[in-house]
Amino acid sequence: MGRGLKGLLLIAIPVFLVGWLIIYPIFAAILSTLFFDGPEGLRFSTASYQFFISDPYSRANLALTLWTTGMCAVLLLIVGLPIALYLRFSTNRFADLVQSLAIFPMFVPSIILSYALIRTIGPNGTVDILLNAVGLPKIKSPYLTPWGPVIGLVWDHLPLTVLMLTAGLGSISNSAIEAARDVGAGPLRVFWHIILPRMGNSILVTVSFTILGIFSAFTLPYVLGPASPEMMGPFMLRTFNALYDPLNAKTQAVISFAFCLFFGIFYVWSIARNQKGQSR
Amino acid sequence: MARLTIDNLRKAFAGTVAVDDFSLDVADGELVCLLGPSGSGKSTVLRMIGGFEQPSSGAIRIDGQDVTRLSPERRPTGMVFQSHALWSHMNVFNNIAFGLKLRRLSRAEIRDKVEHALELVGLAGYGTRQTFQLSGGQQQRVALARSLVLEPKILLLDEPFASLDQHLRERLREEVRDIQQRLGITTLFVTHGQDEALAMADRIVVLRNGQCEQADAPDVVYRNPQTQFVAGFIGQMNFISASVEGGRFLHPDFMLPVNVPDGPAVLAVRPEALDLASAQADQGAIVLRSTDFGSHIMVDLQLRDGTRLKAMTAPDQRWQKRASVHLNVGQFALYRDNHLLTIGQPVGGSEQAPEVEPALSV
Amino acid sequence: MIAGFSTTSGRFDWTGFIFAILLAIVIAVPLLVVFTWAFTEVWRYPSVIPQKFGLRFWDQTLSRADVWEALSISLRLSATVTFLSALICLPAAYAFARMKFPGRDLFFLSFLASHAFPKFGLLVAIASIFLQLNLIATFWGVVLIQLVGTLMLMIWIPVAAFQAVDRRMEEAARDVGAGPLRVFWSITLPQAFPTIFAAVLLTFVSTFYETEGAWLIGAPQIRTMPVLMINFINNQVVIQYGAVLSVILWVPSFIALMFARRVIGTGAFAKGFGA
Repeated sequence: MGRGLKGLLLIAIPVFLVGWLIIYPIFAAILSTLFFDGPEGLRFSTASYQFFISDPYSRANLALTLWTTGMCAVLLLIVGLPIALYLRFSTNRFADLVQSLAIFPMFVPSIILSYALIRTIGPNGTVDILLNAVGLPKIKSPYLTPWGPVIGLVWDHLPLTVLMLTAGLGSISNSAIEAARDVGAGPLRVFWHIILPRMGNSILVTVSFTILGIFSAFTLPYVLGPASPEMMGPFMLRTFNALYDPLNAKTQAVISFAFCLFFGIFYVWSIARNQKGQSR
Repeated sequence: MARLTIDNLRKAFAGTVAVDDFSLDVADGELVCLLGPSGSGKSTVLRMIGGFEQPSSGAIRIDGQDVTRLSPERRPTGMVFQSHALWSHMNVFNNIAFGLKLRRLSRAEIRDKVEHALELVGLAGYGTRQTFQLSGGQQQRVALARSLVLEPKILLLDEPFASLDQHLRERLREEVRDIQQRLGITTLFVTHGQDEALAMADRIVVLRNGQCEQADAPDVVYRNPQTQFVAGFIGQMNFISASVEGGRFLHPDFMLPVNVPDGPAVLAVRPEALDLASAQADQGAIVLRSTDFGSHIMVDLQLRDGTRLKAMTAPDQRWQKRASVHLNVGQFALYRDNHLLTIGQPVGGSEQAPEVEPALSV
Repeated sequence: MIAGFSTTSGRFDWTGFIFAILLAIVIAVPLLVVFTWAFTEVWRYPSVIPQKFGLRFWDQTLSRADVWEALSISLRLSATVTFLSALICLPAAYAFARMKFPGRDLFFLSFLASHAFPKFGLLVAIASIFLQLNLIATFWGVVLIQLVGTLMLMIWIPVAAFQAVDRRMEEAARDVGAGPLRVFWSITLPQAFPTIFAAVLLTFVSTFYETEGAWLIGAPQIRTMPVLMINFINNQVVIQYGAVLSVILWVPSFIALMFARRVIGTGAFAKGFGA
């Protein structure tokens, strides 16, 4: 029992911080956007949510956020899965190189990436220069369009996607695949019948993690995206900092929580399940 | 020098009893083997002596001093772990010297002692090596030196050779036995390999389900197993179930006069105590297979009730597959409910097969 | 892509080759462009190569007071946050890895909360609490919000590191006479050190580049390097300032890359995120 108390003491401060600066603010945000001090005590009101729903600009921001998040998730899977598959089943020297390259963006802060992308795909950027040099017309720059943040976010989230998918693939043994090939399954069938069913879970975890990260991304949408409509991240910052309107900022935050609730729960649930599996 | 006394030791983990009422006296300089299948509680006993588990009840005394509640670092015991547990961030010298440094010995003294310990385990000059540069056998020797350098009163070895290959295991076994004899250090050794126990121990303690089944010298454990479990666990043993009626062990294929009360019983016979004689077709046991091991031939038999037996015969006897044979039982033991009823030679006490024949009607 | 299944060693690995080329282009080109800009004095469209290289803008950038001020704030912030985070998280990580106490699993999972909500939403919720506490636009307000962001990394990775230390190594040390504290100091910590060091380094680097919290809570008084960088991107006509600042900004990341590669290559890191 003495040892139990010692353990609790050692974890006290971090756990307190989680309670005070994560759990409590979330509940406080939900409650303070629904209950208000009136002359006759607490009053329940959904006014700020009704404003969000009725405001076309807020709705457009939400729609843009959903579109960007979905598009990024799909693109990340399309790009990340083949790389992860290649890394899992290849052993030669290119594999190391590909892995290093795919992980590299993890070490490029998004603020530097934003700047780099402006110089590369922005107007009169490197892509334009190169196209001009070979005599092709300029492209329509994705900078300051919804595609700008998509490109940046995919670039930025590629390393974790690849790492998480590769870790998921690691649980599929070589012998399971060799056995399938032995009975005559081609690569596509192996992928479809052996690999995909077994990594369904890790794909979902990866997608959940990506969505949680992208839904309220800030730097890349702020720098690369259009000014109007804007994604939820910049929208919240502007509401809070420039318009000094914490109530509506909190309402926007709670709406973000609601949209990501399923993915958050699934993410925590699947990790909790993994943890249990490891500890016993 | 050092005497270990264990009284009524008991250990319960959440619901299950790992060690139950275990008592043992180990004399000075004795090497005792704790032998048993996995889950028999042998490692738990050793870990309680080392101080890594707290007993639920009972006492452990070293030279009369009660150490039951002492933490591991305060006990005069030295443990060698199964996976050697060398500290991979220290080289060989520092692994061995760590305990000496904790005792604040002078540098010169530490160096002398470490060098001596390395010499003892045959690794003189290996001090500057990193542990991962060593082979499995060398790592285990360093682990042994690490324990011995502190001159513990009791040396504890927890399946120390489990991760080594057969050949190396046999060599290290002899080396450890040799060192133990030279130092005269009281030693407890946990293993699940009967060869290891028979080869090394002064005394073998056979454990099952946390209880002691038998504690005796190796030859006694082999020749006079006190329980059916011990009989089956050490060496090869044939078991034949039947019942005793009117002073005779009655099996459909044969009978044997025995001097025990009536009731169900299990006859235990070693393969080398079974002699075979040709019988007429459709009589007696049937030969399933015979395997030539050079020094002897092992014959697999089946009785008519389906019981399978092994018999060890001289290499000059050849047995055809499907041949029918009579069994001549030599030394045997009879068990009821795991406990020994009697150990005996067949009536007449002779090993001559013909004299036994009247007792065997096939 | 699925040709990767057949790991025939003899043939040239076209799949890998193509992946490597494509990734190299996509990942390296934007970064090369920034590096080129940082050492360029004149580069007018549509020339493929800058008209004039030079270090003039390094002098100009480095003589700006706001750059030095931001750098100083960023370094102080990151050092403070990393130090505090290590101070409170490492003992907790050891407790999670080695001790039994009521609610252990639940508390351990509670650190996931920081990753289970959209981050900026969480920051806004925290910021409105800080508003009442007058922590907005203060150094310690930014420290607190960044500290919360490091908790999961600094607990989960060290827990895995401590758990990976063979218990028998610790028991062997107890056996030769070391007390619990001595065992931790001489055996457990050195064994877990490489991974823990990587976690500390990653914490420092990720704090250094943290933008959202610093801006939301710190603005306008506390201006870190990334926030200054956003200002440059939005308001600065001279392209090279941003480029030079990017190159300077990238130094900590480069150091982290050197050290952390080994840890990140293994599955342990991805597992820290629940893969």
